[in-house]
Amino acid sequence: MKRMGINEFQDKLFTGKLDRRQAFGALAAVGVLPTVMTFGAGRARAAQQPLVLEWSGYEIPELYPPYAAKHGEPDFSFFATEQEMATKIRNGYPADITHPCADSWGRMDDGGLLKAIDTSRLTNWPDVFEGLREHHSIHDADGNVKMIPADWGNSSIIYRTDLYDGEESWCMLFDERYEGKLSMLDSESALLVAGLCHGFGADSFNMTDEMLAEVRPLVEKQARLVRFYWGDQTEVETAMASGEIVAAYAWNSAVKSLKDQGIPVAYAVPKEGILNWLCGLSITNVGTGDEDLVYEYLDAWLSPEAGKFLLEEYGYGHANKITFEISDPQKIADLGFPSDPVEMLNNGLMFQPYDPVVLEKMVDMFDEVKIGL
Amino acid sequence: MSDTVSKAGSDVRGSEAPRVVESKHEGHSWTGEAPLFIYAVWYLAFLYIPVLFLPLFSFNDSIYVAFPLKGFTLQWYADMLENPALLRALENSVKVGAAVAIASTILGIFAAKAMTRYRLPGKGPLTSFIMLPLVVPGIILGIALLVISNTVGVDLSLYTIAMAHTLVAVPFAMLVLMSRLEGFDKSLEEASLDLGENAFQTFLRVTLPLAWPGILASTLLTFTISFDEFILAFFLAGNEVTLPIYIWSQLRFPNRLPMVLSLGACILVASFFIVTFSEVIRRRGVGTQSGSAI
Amino acid sequence: MSDQTQAAGTYSQAEEQTTFGFKLRALFLKHEWLRGYLLLSPTLLVMICLMCVPLFMLVAYSFWTQNYLDIDKTFTLANYEAYFQKPIYAALMFKSIRMSLYCTFATLLLAYPMAYFIAFKVTKNKLIWLILITVPFWTSYLLRVFAWKVILGFNGVINSGLISLGIINEPLEFLLYNPTAVVLTLAHAWAAFAILPIYVSLEKIDRSLLEAATDLGDTPKERFWRVTWPLSLPGVIAAGLLVFIPTVGDYVTPKLVGGTTGIMIGNIVQSQFGKANNWPMGAALSVISMLMITILVVTFIAATNRARAKN
Repeated sequence: MKRMGINEFQDKLFTGKLDRRQAFGALAAVGVLPTVMTFGAGRARAAQQPLVLEWSGYEIPELYPPYAAKHGEPDFSFFATEQEMATKIRNGYPADITHPCADSWGRMDDGGLLKAIDTSRLTNWPDVFEGLREHHSIHDADGNVKMIPADWGNSSIIYRTDLYDGEESWCMLFDERYEGKLSMLDSESALLVAGLCHGFGADSFNMTDEMLAEVRPLVEKQARLVRFYWGDQTEVETAMASGEIVAAYAWNSAVKSLKDQGIPVAYAVPKEGILNWLCGLSITNVGTGDEDLVYEYLDAWLSPEAGKFLLEEYGYGHANKITFEISDPQKIADLGFPSDPVEMLNNGLMFQPYDPVVLEKMVDMFDEVKIGL
Repeated sequence: MSDTVSKAGSDVRGSEAPRVVESKHEGHSWTGEAPLFIYAVWYLAFLYIPVLFLPLFSFNDSIYVAFPLKGFTLQWYADMLENPALLRALENSVKVGAAVAIASTILGIFAAKAMTRYRLPGKGPLTSFIMLPLVVPGIILGIALLVISNTVGVDLSLYTIAMAHTLVAVPFAMLVLMSRLEGFDKSLEEASLDLGENAFQTFLRVTLPLAWPGILASTLLTFTISFDEFILAFFLAGNEVTLPIYIWSQLRFPNRLPMVLSLGACILVASFFIVTFSEVIRRRGVGTQSGSAI
Repeated sequence: MSDQTQAAGTYSQAEEQTTFGFKLRALFLKHEWLRGYLLLSPTLLVMICLMCVPLFMLVAYSFWTQNYLDIDKTFTLANYEAYFQKPIYAALMFKSIRMSLYCTFATLLLAYPMAYFIAFKVTKNKLIWLILITVPFWTSYLLRVFAWKVILGFNGVINSGLISLGIINEPLEFLLYNPTAVVLTLAHAWAAFAILPIYVSLEKIDRSLLEAATDLGDTPKERFWRVTWPLSLPGVIAAGLLVFIPTVGDYVTPKLVGGTTGIMIGNIVQSQFGKANNWPMGAALSVISMLMITILVVTFIAATNRARAKN
């Protein structure tokens, strides 16, 4: 075995030690050590403040001004998809309030996660559009409100008026003439849209196996025609701005953003009916926050001041009708909202929860089509 | 490719210690070194060009990350500074990252030394076991750890995030340190024991210095992993979130993306500033300690 | 020889201990593997505590069935049967492994000279170089992917550049949304994870060995292949594993830059755990892909070990 001379040994030690000392100096300078020392258990939760599991961007006090003025900010944590949010709560995360949508709270409710909301405790409730208050998509089978409507909008096709020519229809997303210049949301909604183009109407939300088989060729055709399936609004807006794509499935806010950037776009009102989505706040039954504060927070979200901000800054519709009276009419028009949102809600197709068995079939079929099977 | 390597290899000399002076006259080095140096510059460009677009677009007066550029604005920086939740998330990420880097590197040293120094029965299965967190899907890992936390009664906090990240960072730390420690001859440690040092002192004074480059590499990598991890952090976050959670969660709002760009640019600039600053400190420190270390 | 001295050195200390402590110590001195396990125990303990539940969950789920929100816990092989019945899964699995291999190979090939440069050519401030290589990865991955889209995209840097140079008239569409874009983006994203392990193993090469090789009349090329390369293999292997294993299961990159042709198995696993809400199927797919990765990795390590033993 090779033996090392003692000098060499000490030499190496010395070098090593020196290096270490230098690097510790560097680390200290970087502030790593001080940071680690202050590594606390996080903010202690303020007494009784509700814990809100939200989309980030919705935590700003402008969206619940009366509450913020009175009680400050509740505690927030954030999620990126509704499935992940529901899974986290189901596995014991004690959120008081969360933010599902009309087609996703049902699943949480079936899992026994949601509390019925006593709307008489909400002072702004009478000002909510009647069409929304009564809408079946916020009530469970027993007529309890399980989600108060907060933000809503449309899903439709946004297209470049200078580059796309044709009738406003869901079939725009299956237009052979624009091969490689279309985009669809990367979700099983592709099957829904195919169903709408195929003329299934509201039944597209609950397709039978035969209907699914019927729309499959359309979905396969679309897979061939799209430039890409988009995962986030940013992606589709960017591509639309550059002209990489000329027509895509998108939400209202995209229209506003693109118009603000001076891009000639329009938001289609498809002859088969525009899609409406509705999201809102639900109270979970696993929360530990003060119930009065929970209701005050919900009420604050329904206030017209909150609505004005939501509409003008985020480009979403709001549940309170006073919102539409106090907001900038130009901005309302830019977003593609008609003067009477109730009419739109009544004429369009509201997103409905899919039957879980059907949904799984849809997801599997969509995956298969994407891979090219 | 291998040509470049071997050509450049013609000038390999000197010993491991950086303070050995390269003898210029013997070098005939320029011809040998140039290709490798040029390659290094190109490679750095490959690494940096995508990220240098972040500062560029952070000043662009458009919410889209796309050409052509529209105009100059500081709006996004103002937005960023007005967003306490974002900055708070950044702070949390740095804390968690630092803790993870330290914890996983320490665990990595133990594991790597055990694996490389001793004839361990079942070494193969053990290695595979430690590598497991890399192949188990993040969502399963996240849920399972959330369930564990609930069962044990640990409140979700930055600690739980750091714990989960440490789990995925250990395989990285161990592999990097193993590649450092493998093949070192035992005589160094034995010499230390001969000199009457106990096992701990030997570890501190021999193993640690030997493993030092590996420790640095491991610290950097594990910090990087933690700093950009989303799914585990999501499931294990209490009322404090990390930066990736915040960023992924706001993809719903495209007009908030530029703010994240500005933050990215600031992180880059701050990193450079810190590196330069610590280098200055280090040099000054070295200067007062010993002249021999260049 | 060294074993004796080591034992003697500790013996004198052990004398002062209690008999029990002495026996324990003797036991540890006698059995090398005990000492190894003692050293390994903290890491192993953490891993066992935290990994057993997830692993059990994963395997158990793969033998169960999803029934809307509930899990039917009767044992079934249905999920595995589905894997073999639907050709889509196996096809995708192999495609993912192939893409990961490309990506790993590209990453290592690009990283090796860089690691070599830092290990042998940089004589001072190596730390700075290491940090320089890591800093780009301290920005959000999401942002880096956006940046790649800016470079490769329709109106992106490459296309605009080529158009303004008059080389092309229409933007090239094949740059983005395909497997190549995925491999490129991944090769960039994992660069630091390849350079650092290789650097670490190159750094430890005793320079006197290289000098000896030169003295024996090796050309630089011979010396590289005879000395440097074999000694750096542990680092190359570590780097390979660190890039290959995580990239097989990646789903974010394929989703963002892969388009429809760049989809990998991770995307399917992700949608089973997410939208489709079929955890058992997702778990079965994960178990199969874990097994494939393990087999590949073990074979690879065994092969390299044999090759090294031969030399």
